[in-house]
This record gives sequence, C-alpha cells and structure tokens, in this order.
Amino acid sequence: MHFYIGAGADSAQKRMIDERKLEILTESAKYDVSCSSSGSKRANKPGGLGNASFGGICHSFTPDGRCISLLKILMSNECLYDCEYCPNRRSADVPRARLTPDEICELTINFYKRNYIEGLFLSSAVFDSPDKTMELLCETVTKLRRVYNFNGYIHLKGIPHADSAIMMKAAHIADRMSYNIELPSEKSLKLLAPQKSKQSLVAPMKELKEAMDYDRINKVRKNKVLPAGQTTQMIIGASPESDGQILKLTEALYRNMNLKRVYYSSYIPVVKSNKLPAVGAGLLREHRLYQADWLIRFYGFDVDEICGAEENLSPDYDPKCAWALKNMQLFPVEINTAPLAMLLRVPGIGSKGAYKICEARKFGKLDFDNLAKMRIVLKRAKHFITCKGKFYGSDSFEQVKTSLMLDGAREMQTQLSMFSDSSTALSVLTGEL
Amino acid sequence: MKIFITDGGSYSFFTAVFDAYRERECIITSDENVQMSFDSEIVRVETNYNKCARVQKKLLKYDSSAVDDILTVLRSCDSLKEQTAFDYIKRLMEQKTSIDRAYNLPEVIIFNELKHKVTYEVHKMSGFLRFMECDSGAFYAPYSPDNDITDMLMPHFAARFRNERFVIHDVKRKIAGIYDGHEWLIGYAGEAEVYLSEYEKVFQTLWKKYYKAVNIKERPHEKQMKGYMPVRYWKFLPEKMDG
Repeated sequence: MHFYIGAGADSAQKRMIDERKLEILTESAKYDVSCSSSGSKRANKPGGLGNASFGGICHSFTPDGRCISLLKILMSNECLYDCEYCPNRRSADVPRARLTPDEICELTINFYKRNYIEGLFLSSAVFDSPDKTMELLCETVTKLRRVYNFNGYIHLKGIPHADSAIMMKAAHIADRMSYNIELPSEKSLKLLAPQKSKQSLVAPMKELKEAMDYDRINKVRKNKVLPAGQTTQMIIGASPESDGQILKLTEALYRNMNLKRVYYSSYIPVVKSNKLPAVGAGLLREHRLYQADWLIRFYGFDVDEICGAEENLSPDYDPKCAWALKNMQLFPVEINTAPLAMLLRVPGIGSKGAYKICEARKFGKLDFDNLAKMRIVLKRAKHFITCKGKFYGSDSFEQVKTSLMLDGAREMQTQLSMFSDSSTALSVLTGEL
Repeated sequence: MKIFITDGGSYSFFTAVFDAYRERECIITSDENVQMSFDSEIVRVETNYNKCARVQKKLLKYDSSAVDDILTVLRSCDSLKEQTAFDYIKRLMEQKTSIDRAYNLPEVIIFNELKHKVTYEVHKMSGFLRFMECDSGAFYAPYSPDNDITDMLMPHFAARFRNERFVIHDVKRKIAGIYDGHEWLIGYAGEAEVYLSEYEKVFQTLWKKYYKAVNIKERPHEKQMKGYMPVRYWKFLPEKMDG
C-alpha cells in the first residue's frame, strides 16, 4: 500500500515544513476565537480521507483551557494593511513567514491521519492584492479537496475586497467561512481599520447567505455552499459602543445573515496608539455578552428584554437573573405545569434542565427532592419556582437580590482569575483579517 | 440471598436476568470479589442463548432501544454495572413502557449516568486517540480507556480512514480493533511490536511545536484544561508526554 496520497506530495517536500514558520504562523492565528468543527455532515468518498462530525470533536486542550479542533494557521502574516489594533499590521516589527499551498496540505493531511485535528482553519494576512490573496487561499483548499482527496472539515477566512467569484468558488469547497466584522460600528471601523469598509465585510456575508438560501430552497444536496454556515468575530472595548448596541448588531447578524455564531473578543492593549484605549475591556464583559448571546439564540429572549440600546449589561448578575429580578411579577412558576418557554426563563435552569423537567413530569409530579436528584441546580432557581405548590426560596426580594449578587461575584472571580497576569496579557485581537 | 456471577459478557448477563427475574432479592455481578453476607448463595451463570433471546425480545417489546442501551452500560468499568442494568430492566417491566426519559426515577438516573460515561468516553476518544505511522504504512494507536469501548470507536475511524490500515489497541484490556482497509474486527492483542516510519518523529515534533505556539500563555487556565482532558489520558498524547 502506498502511504503518501496525492501528486506533489513526495517525501523531499515533507521535510521542508519549517518548524519556525509553523510557529510564526500559528502565533499569528491563535487570537481568532473560533475553533469549532461542528455543523457539517460531509461524508468520506471512495479513495478519500476523512469526514466531518456534525457535533464537532475536540482533539486536545491547551494550558489556557481552550480546545484544539482545527489546525489554525495563517498562510502568511505579511500584511499590506495597517489596522491600528493588529499585531501583524504593516508597520509592526515582527518576524514574517509564508507557507505554500502544498506545505499547508501536507501538514493538514499528516496531522489528520494521526488524529491530531478535525481539519483546517485557514486564514491569511493580505500579502498581495485581496484578489491574489483570496485566490491562493482558494487554490490551497481546492488542492486539499481535489488532489489530496481530503473530506475533513475546512474553515476558511474570507478576505475583504476580494472578487466575489473567487469567494463563491471557495464557498463550494469549505465547510464554513467567516468574515470578521472586527468592530461593532462603521464609525469605529473607519477609525481603526481604515483599509476595510463595512461594505467589504457585509456584502460577501450577504452574498454567501443568499447562496445558502438558494441551496436550501432548491434542496441542493451535492456540492452545497458552506454546509456549516458562516461566523464572525468582533472586538469588544476598543471602541465606545454599548452592550445594547453590540447585542442589537448581534441579533441582526443572526436574523438577517443567518450566522451560526458571533464571537466576541475583549480588547486588551498590546499596541500603543492614541486611537485606542489604554485599558482593556476585561473578560467579564465578554462573558456577559456571551451569556446574553446564548439567551437570544437558545432561550427565546429578544435583545430589548435583556438590555436597552444605550445600556450595558449588569456586571453583578448574569443577564437572565437581571431580567428575572426586573420581572418578579412573573414568578414563582410551578415546575409541574409551566410551559417549556417559561422554564427556560428561570434563573439557574438551563436548556438541558428545562428539557429534562418536561420529560420527567410526564411520569409523575416532581417535588423539590426529585429536582435535586435530577442534578438541576437549585441555588438560584429555588427563588423562582414552586414544586407541587410549595415554595422553597426566600420571600424577601432584598435577600434574593443579595444571594444572586453573591453568586455573580463568585462567577466574576473565576472569570478574572483566568488572567493571573493581566499586565502582560495579550489582546484577543485577531492577528489577521 | 442469591448472587448470580456472570462471566462479564452480555450473553451471560441476559441469561442471569432470566434466572434472577423471579427471585425476590438477588444480585447480578461479574465481580468475583463481591462482598458476601452470611446468607449469600453463589450461583454461577451458565450462558444460555435461548434465555438471552427471550429476555431481549421482552425488552424490545417495551422499548426498542433498551437492548442497545444495556449493551452500552455493560461496557462500563463500574463494578455495579450488571446490577444497575438489572434494576433498570425490573423498572422497565414494571412500567411496561419506555423509561429512558423518566429522568426522575432513581434507577433511570443511575443507568443513564453510566450510559453517558461510556458514550462520552467514546466521543472523547474520537478526539484524543493518537495514531503513529508505522514503517509498513499502517497506523497504530495504543490507549487505555476507562470503559471497554474499542468496538464502539471502530466504525468512526473506519469511515474516516477508509483507505488506511490501522490498529486501535486497548493495552489495559489487551484487545485490539484491526482495520485492513475493508473490514474491521476485534481480537486479542497482548504486546505490540511497532516499527515507526522515518517521518513519524518529524510530525510528532511539528505537532508539539504547534501545540505550544497556539496556547496563549499569558492566560493560564490549567484547571479547565485538565477538566476537559483528564491527566490519565495524557500518557498517549505526544503533546503531553513531556509533562
């Protein structure tokens, strides 16, 4: 049996993958938050290697607690752009490197066969014109699919301002694509990333969305556009937008662009600039935004219920608690009769818990003890529910508030302890487009 | 009280269920060192395929996934797995309808927990298993899972690496799943003699470099890493072998 698949994959080339290059291009890519390999059911083909797992698979975890699912690298970190916040911007003095399409394919295939990774997350700085850069990215993933017969997961980053025909070609090859909107408003984008325009980020997103809609409506099965959809990422706290504005934008992206995920990365100053704040945004704000994001996607909340347009989320409580405290007239709800939509709104009960309660109560009425045995966390929930008409929480609103606030404080501490060394913490900025 | 001792296999277990079902109080276990009291009576189960079939047929009448679920639970490393499955069966017979979502019944809670531990480990191992390329071009992955899951992993990797030849070796249980590029089977495998390809070390080194470079070292969160990737799995991970 011949082990090395594909043309141009001779062993001489294998040895040339330079460790230092891999390090530079990994370092430059690691601040992209997305690592998910889910959402695609791509099957293997005769003679092919790999498939995609719909739920995604984590292959390792790094000491920062994040999962490794994909080989996340830049093709190059040589950039023509000079975005204010980016460690790889043109004027920065950092080591530069570039990998060839074959080197990237070899690396992916060989990591994949050893079960190190689920697939490839390829991105790049704009080392040539946007068209040329996008073309080379597209050529790489096409080669990986056609020449190396790879059917594993591919996430490709889109290059703004690149020709839409190249983008569409890539979208038929990749499982997921992402255009990072970078900043939560057009004004901030103009100020901090003047070479990118809102249009150059939103127009391709929209075009891809329409192509996916077309596939869905016409029940296209073969060669579908982006089976795992699109995602985006924005930096929080580098510009003055409120949480309310950010969440409104998020909601619009989910509803109008049909995005699978919106990622947030909290800003921490690494690059000195008079256009950027001197202090970082902190992880708590990012954490609260993710909680709100979850409420919008899985718990049936509208942004307006959680956060007003000019408001920020409360640092003291998670957004569901904050909402419940403002709507105490709706509580307590009876666990044995409340509809699923209402159970989902009880602080402390998650979507799994709500589902379990709905299933279990078909077999008989549930009491407080049942819930505890079912591993429903009742510390917060007890103030908002009754079981067989009995209430186990506190009658005093002030007491409920204090107890929830203590919970929030504990949560804040664990979030902050993640930054044992915040003075040297790097920003979670995308080191790339 | 009778204690039914099975050989650890599923046929033996279903036979035991048949024999034990009419007993008022009894225990089914594969644990030879089971704790006995003064009135214990040991019964060694003799596998009877007819009895197995009858038990399974009865189970399927009430719940089409019950047999599969029980087979999953029997792979658990928990010493009470047979008793847990037996209690679940008794409850199913009592309710006469599928109970897998009766999340409030104690028998179901324990049973589902064991089931989850097994399927969750299968999922984790589909990520944490590490293959090495051998001189012959085949791939070899030694591991030591908590539960007996090798045959549950084989379909996943056979679909994924359909043109490769590979071996997944449970070194603790001394069994191996072998795929020859067409079919897979499970067999006994004690010690394996492995000759690595000349490139194996190159890619292991590249992988270790990647692992190091992708970490954001200014944000340590080891607790979370160890939570998701328990230390007992590390000895087969190249990126973790140096500590």
